[in-house]
Amino acid sequence: MLAGFSFIITILSYVGAKLLYRKKQSVFLSPLVICPFVLISLLLSFHVSLETYSAGTQWITDMLQPAIVAFAVPLYKYRALLKKYALEIALGVFGGSIIAIVSSVMYGKLFHLTPQLLDSLAPRSITTPIAMNISQTIGGLPAMTASFVIVTGIAGIVAGPFILKWLPIHHQVSKGMLLGMGAHGAGTAQAYEIGSIEGAIASLTMIVAGIITIMVAPILVPHLH
Amino acid sequence: MYILKCIAQIGGLLGIALMGNKLTQVFDLHFPGSILGILFIFLLLEAKIISLEWVETGANLLIAELILFFIPSAVGVVQYKQLIITNGASFGFVIFLSTVTVMISTGLLAEFLNKIGKGR
Repeated sequence: MLAGFSFIITILSYVGAKLLYRKKQSVFLSPLVICPFVLISLLLSFHVSLETYSAGTQWITDMLQPAIVAFAVPLYKYRALLKKYALEIALGVFGGSIIAIVSSVMYGKLFHLTPQLLDSLAPRSITTPIAMNISQTIGGLPAMTASFVIVTGIAGIVAGPFILKWLPIHHQVSKGMLLGMGAHGAGTAQAYEIGSIEGAIASLTMIVAGIITIMVAPILVPHLH
Repeated sequence: MYILKCIAQIGGLLGIALMGNKLTQVFDLHFPGSILGILFIFLLLEAKIISLEWVETGANLLIAELILFFIPSAVGVVQYKQLIITNGASFGFVIFLSTVTVMISTGLLAEFLNKIGKGR
């Protein structure tokens, strides 16, 4: 009963936030910011356990997997563009992935976080299912990594527009790479708001970053401790 | 009609994702099945075994609502209340600083690579 209710409230909060966001494009009204805030407040004030909430919403999370598979469609539609910029994307995303891992761990050390939290932070710049997978492999807390990925998405969509405005970045490919590398799915959604080429590049960047991080993180992270 | 089409196509994509999971399990590959799924659909499209119309409507819907699928995981942080109360500000600073670092360096690197790329 409560589980079914969790499901309905989650969908309603999402639809509501989306309608609000359409009216007023403020980052704080982005569903990624406002929905978890509203839902956590509801859980805490009505003393609903996370187990109950998760039981009702598990299959929303499960839809993330076909949603990732769905990225084959934009990749295919823009394959000519991708071929044209293959080298730029490969090199740029490789560099970006290394910087993401190293800077997460280094800044984390600066703030005296425990090794387990550093491991949980290392894959935070890529899409949730892959990040959680890597976190598990290198000894982090996957659920914590999931939340770090979300906070990264929020930070990215807050900072992204300012960085695009202030830095001399004009090329559609660069804009897509910046958003896809910096803020995975959330950045990709924002890139699609700028244009379909930016969006396609961002989604490709997100996927390539995931693959590169899978290969690099288990080797790189132990050396950073 | 649109709804039926979406359900059928999303069902297909889900099937491929689950198949990918199964394969990564069987072959003990350390990456998520959805990556295999992307590759599989891409190759099917490239080989013209399936046409874009078979998957496009459902795929576009899933991508448009991507953020919804993250929301329950985000709510999951509630289980780490204590960890967040003690370290929350550090997490926020580290993630924000690192995200800005990644964005600025990736953006500049990409712009630089594009400039050299034009000379090819």
